[in-house]
Amino acid sequence: MSYLNKAAMRSKTGFWPNNRGTILGVAAFAVVIAIIPFTASSSMMNIAVFSMIFALPAIGLSLLMGLAGQVSLGQAAFFAIGAYTHAILLQKFEMPGPVAAVGGVAAAMLAALLIGLPMLRLRGHYLALATLGLGFIVMIAVREWEFTGRTTGIYGYGRPEVFGIPIDNNGLFFWFVAPFVLIGLVLALNLTRSRAGRALSAVNDSELAAESLGVNTYALRVKVFTLSAGFAGLGGVFYAYQVQIVSPQVAEFHVSVELLLMVVLGGLGSVWGAVAGAFIVELLSEGLRDLIPAIIPGATGEVQLIGYGLVLILVIILLPGGLYQVVKSAWAAITRRRADASAKRSPVIAAADDDGSGEVPTRAFGGLPSETTAGDGLDEVADAAASDARIPTVSTPVAAGEPILEVSGLTKRYGGVVAVDDVTLTVPAGQIMGLIGPNGAGKTTCFNMITGAIAPTSGTVRFLGEEIQGRKPHVGAEAGLTRTFQNLQVFSSTDVVGNVYMGRYRKGRAGILRGMFGLQGREQYAHEEIARDILDSMRLGDVAGLAAGDLPFGRQRMMEVCRALAAEPALLLLDEPMAGLSGSERELLAQLLRSLRDAGLTIVLVEHDVAQVMALADSVAVLDDGVLIAHGDPESVRNDPAVIVAYLGTDAEEAEAELKELEDQS
Amino acid sequence: MIDFLQLTVAGLSQGSVYALLAVGLIATYTVRHVVNIAQGDYATLAGLGSISLVTAGLPLPVAILIALISVTLASVLIERLVIARVKNLTTLVSIILTLGVSTLLQAIMLLIWGAEAKRLPAFPGSDLTLGGVSIRSQELWMLGALVVVGGGVLLFYEKTRWGKALRASAEQPVAARIVGISPAVASVIAFAIAGFVGATAGVVSSPIYLSIWSGGLLLGLKGFVAAVLGGLVSFRAAIVGALLLGIIESYVAGYVASGWKDAVAFFILIIVLIIRPAGLVLRPNAVRV
Amino acid sequence: MHRAQRRLLLPAAVAASIALALTGCGASNFGGDSGDSASEEGPIKIGAVLDITGVGANLGVPEQNTLNMLAEQLNAEGGIDGREVELIIKDNQSTEDGAAKATTQLIENDDVDLIIGSSRTGPSLAMRPLVEAAQVPTISVAANAAIVDGSEWVFKTAQNDLVVLERILDDAASKGYTKIALVRDATGFGEGIADIITELGEERGITLTATESFEPSATDFTAQMTNIRAADADAVIIWGITPSAGLAQAAYVQLGVNKPVYQSHGVANDAFFEAAGPAADGVIAPMGRLLVADELSDDDPQKPVIDQFIADYTEEFGSAPSSFAGHAYDAWLVGTKALESAGTEPQALRDAIESTADLVGISGIFTMTPENHSGLTADALIMALAEGGRWTLYEE
Repeated sequence: MSYLNKAAMRSKTGFWPNNRGTILGVAAFAVVIAIIPFTASSSMMNIAVFSMIFALPAIGLSLLMGLAGQVSLGQAAFFAIGAYTHAILLQKFEMPGPVAAVGGVAAAMLAALLIGLPMLRLRGHYLALATLGLGFIVMIAVREWEFTGRTTGIYGYGRPEVFGIPIDNNGLFFWFVAPFVLIGLVLALNLTRSRAGRALSAVNDSELAAESLGVNTYALRVKVFTLSAGFAGLGGVFYAYQVQIVSPQVAEFHVSVELLLMVVLGGLGSVWGAVAGAFIVELLSEGLRDLIPAIIPGATGEVQLIGYGLVLILVIILLPGGLYQVVKSAWAAITRRRADASAKRSPVIAAADDDGSGEVPTRAFGGLPSETTAGDGLDEVADAAASDARIPTVSTPVAAGEPILEVSGLTKRYGGVVAVDDVTLTVPAGQIMGLIGPNGAGKTTCFNMITGAIAPTSGTVRFLGEEIQGRKPHVGAEAGLTRTFQNLQVFSSTDVVGNVYMGRYRKGRAGILRGMFGLQGREQYAHEEIARDILDSMRLGDVAGLAAGDLPFGRQRMMEVCRALAAEPALLLLDEPMAGLSGSERELLAQLLRSLRDAGLTIVLVEHDVAQVMALADSVAVLDDGVLIAHGDPESVRNDPAVIVAYLGTDAEEAEAELKELEDQS
Repeated sequence: MIDFLQLTVAGLSQGSVYALLAVGLIATYTVRHVVNIAQGDYATLAGLGSISLVTAGLPLPVAILIALISVTLASVLIERLVIARVKNLTTLVSIILTLGVSTLLQAIMLLIWGAEAKRLPAFPGSDLTLGGVSIRSQELWMLGALVVVGGGVLLFYEKTRWGKALRASAEQPVAARIVGISPAVASVIAFAIAGFVGATAGVVSSPIYLSIWSGGLLLGLKGFVAAVLGGLVSFRAAIVGALLLGIIESYVAGYVASGWKDAVAFFILIIVLIIRPAGLVLRPNAVRV
Repeated sequence: MHRAQRRLLLPAAVAASIALALTGCGASNFGGDSGDSASEEGPIKIGAVLDITGVGANLGVPEQNTLNMLAEQLNAEGGIDGREVELIIKDNQSTEDGAAKATTQLIENDDVDLIIGSSRTGPSLAMRPLVEAAQVPTISVAANAAIVDGSEWVFKTAQNDLVVLERILDDAASKGYTKIALVRDATGFGEGIADIITELGEERGITLTATESFEPSATDFTAQMTNIRAADADAVIIWGITPSAGLAQAAYVQLGVNKPVYQSHGVANDAFFEAAGPAADGVIAPMGRLLVADELSDDDPQKPVIDQFIADYTEEFGSAPSSFAGHAYDAWLVGTKALESAGTEPQALRDAIESTADLVGISGIFTMTPENHSGLTADALIMALAEGGRWTLYEE
């Protein structure tokens, strides 16, 4: 899904919380909308009206593809459900227009919810094909069903009226649709910048990391899918009003292709792009219908398809980010000179400009608002800021020494291979436990089973008394279990502070609705502030605004630790946190871990560097070939013959002799 | 009973077309992890092409041969010009991309051959009636094509060193290189096979089902449904699935309502994807990471 | 500041491109309904919505040809009352919503005085509420009686399906058939046909024993014909348009169903023979006199009109016209005669069309009344027999 993610993510960076540009953009668009009916020719007006109608499902599809990283090839199905429901409510039940319209949108969303619940568990390309199938089913259903008027469809329900004025011409109809498109546009833009939107962007970068921070990917995807269908349904409502008949053609596959083309052409994940795409595709369609018969005499039928096919192929090959990418690169080229000029004053930005993309990485977060810590219910924030120790907040749900994590009989088999064999151990709260073992001993597999990244073949994992084995990572994360990764899982599409901000996910509450209506700015500012404090405490404050992928390896690792700490975990699982760190960084991290432990945090770390673990850990567990061979305080483990054998690969006596020899030499 | 058998015969012959297309889809999916939405359009292209050649006066076998070769080359061309141009082509993107290819091919066919369905003359042979069940000779040709061409591809992939290496090239490019196949060559071979198989389906079915510019999409999708029944990797399961799909469609058309026939495949698709996304023969893969 | 500009750029670009694209001649987009369309100056505008592409193309294309030819002829003769006639033809792509879109455009943007179309029943039904609301006189060239039933503003020139079925069932009854099976088009053209057969069959002692349907885009008819073969029937009616009705005919013969077949007037063209091939032989279908023009007796009042039309059409397009071309001719004829007598004022024009009487056309002799907006009786039909790749006169 890299192609989808790339384009989707870039659009987010720098969007939030700078609303001024959006407001100006929307205002400019509103002015254009007001003027069009006075200036456009009648055929252009017709195109403009249908562009507006199709912009709605295109915005929905853009959210689905950009945010949820899912492709629907059946968007026309929801468009059709909205249109049919609206028409039927008007014509057969003689409901007032607004009621019928709400009914149309609700029906589309309900259908999407019912279909999305099972289908969004599927991998991306299966979902695409399942939605394609859905499109055909809906088309055939409305064609065969007496109630939906079979092949002829539903007609004979009249034009809408607003304050007694019948909307019976293209000019008025354009103004009738436009406010809805504008509002839909703003809501969608808000959503991409909201907590939920950023979480979904993170999912597109690394589903595992996002889920390990408490993001319930599946639930969010279902919500976005439903929302996307709502946009499609609203488009269908207007279509039904404009065309005055709803027949099976609205559900046809090429309508879905047209919508897909609008989104891909506009730029995946770019809401503005979807609206622009709608206008361009409608213009293209009309233009080709005139042009092709002129070039090729006798050409009839859906000749515009040739343009659809070509554009779709060319955009994906040459311009995977769509028009949004073009506009963005053009703008970047224009502003490059300015960036160069400012390089002397700001070396960080100049350095970042060398990433080859020629773009200045934008910060995910704008300037700091002054009212940050004055909010209600944000006492923790004030505390964190006031604290001299500058230690990130931790949560301590159980008293020190009480068991916080209990693993029992944990086993993982891959076919005939046993990766982890019947591991049982208890981690008491307020301790640092080291988990060591030779390469391939099953340490990371253990971590993955504890955090829910993979399901164990058998055995239980209890976190704070709750069984979480086999559950998705967000379940443990919500309860306070956070981890880092041996192979870094950086959210590369956002900046450093954006990564750490994602750690705050489980502490936030704003959902999709609040996000869409922009009612969560204060919450986001507060979390951003905490994220910055944590970065400062790990001496990463200076790079907070850089694109995360541009950091050196060691600092990315530190950033991941910050991200995990931002979640205020009760239990922190670190998978080889020292790997790739410089000596001073290791020292800093070790110090931090000790003070976190002293503050009450429980830490389990997998580490390759045995000496580090022995120095840091309160207790050490040793895995060899998937079996737990020793568990105790560092001293006793160090002297355990079984451990020595495991590391040196010989029998116990020989090993001891060799070890003695080594010690003598030194 | 005669009706039941008659519908079964009709379903089997329709299913053989789906089976050939499923074989083509799996041929490219196993090698390239591409779901080729344009697979069905190969069939239409070959059908319409051979009709034009016959109309131009060429003997039927010659026309068919030229059509098969041309469509095979077209498929290779599509691989080189389109598929190979996208770096890091994921399955999801491949769907959007080949949807573009499919749309383009259909538009070209519309411009060249017009909007009307056309029919290739039936292959030699006489229709027969067995116990009241009439079997068209063309239906035997269709089943025969499945056995020869579909079976050939299956044996090539499963039994020959080259075929196995081809299959491995998606997962283990190194293993494929050992046999001397670079991923690029593997991809070209896979698309050539897909083109040939699709074209075969198109020419054998045209005398009964006709060829129309827009017909390929639905055909290809039904082939895909059959391929999903085989988890997108098993030729055998996909062929069996395709024949079953054809038969079920035929029963639905005969006993329920002909209008619902085309929806059957997609109900099956959605149900299978939800219940057993790994296909009907393989065990679901439990690993999530 | 950079960010703000960057945010602004895309919307600004969109706005600019839209403004550029849409800056046109500045025509009013806020309607201009009935009032100005009745203007007595400038050209008379006749709009047509036809199935030029899609499944109805076999109908729509000859209709388009006919209208273009007739408009040219009329303007060459000086138009109507010295006013030029402007013909605006739109393609509905054989879809209902295409027809609605095109009709809306003709009414709202082109301010047409009269509309002809659509070619098939479904799209015609979709147009009906629009033209009724806008009060634009409209003449459909499709068959189903539902298009004009109870309508004030819509007329049609194709023979009613009711009349066609009467002819078929009369013939069946005369041959002693008592059980009929039906395979029908699944669109508006075929809907309701089963009910009519049941109703008309009752008085003739004929029962309908099986009904199957097919999409006009279908190419495989095995399932339907298998069921028909198993049905207990003396004869079969295949009710559809070309090419699907022809393909159904071919499948019928291929599957070895040996009962006699009646087809509808939807196959009254040569395209039927292309689709059905040799399977067409022996099919009987009711249709207008156009396709058997050379067998008409010289005293037939329609003969001169038909002969002239065939000659003109063949000269212009290189092939003989189909029945559908004839329907378009008749619609043009009815419409222009009314325009000549009543002008373009909508109500007057409508009334003039409704009072059409004894007008000799291609499909028959038209007499409209407030109750009958179809204008033809059973006399307009003959029974034709398919023989050797063409229609021959079977029964007057």
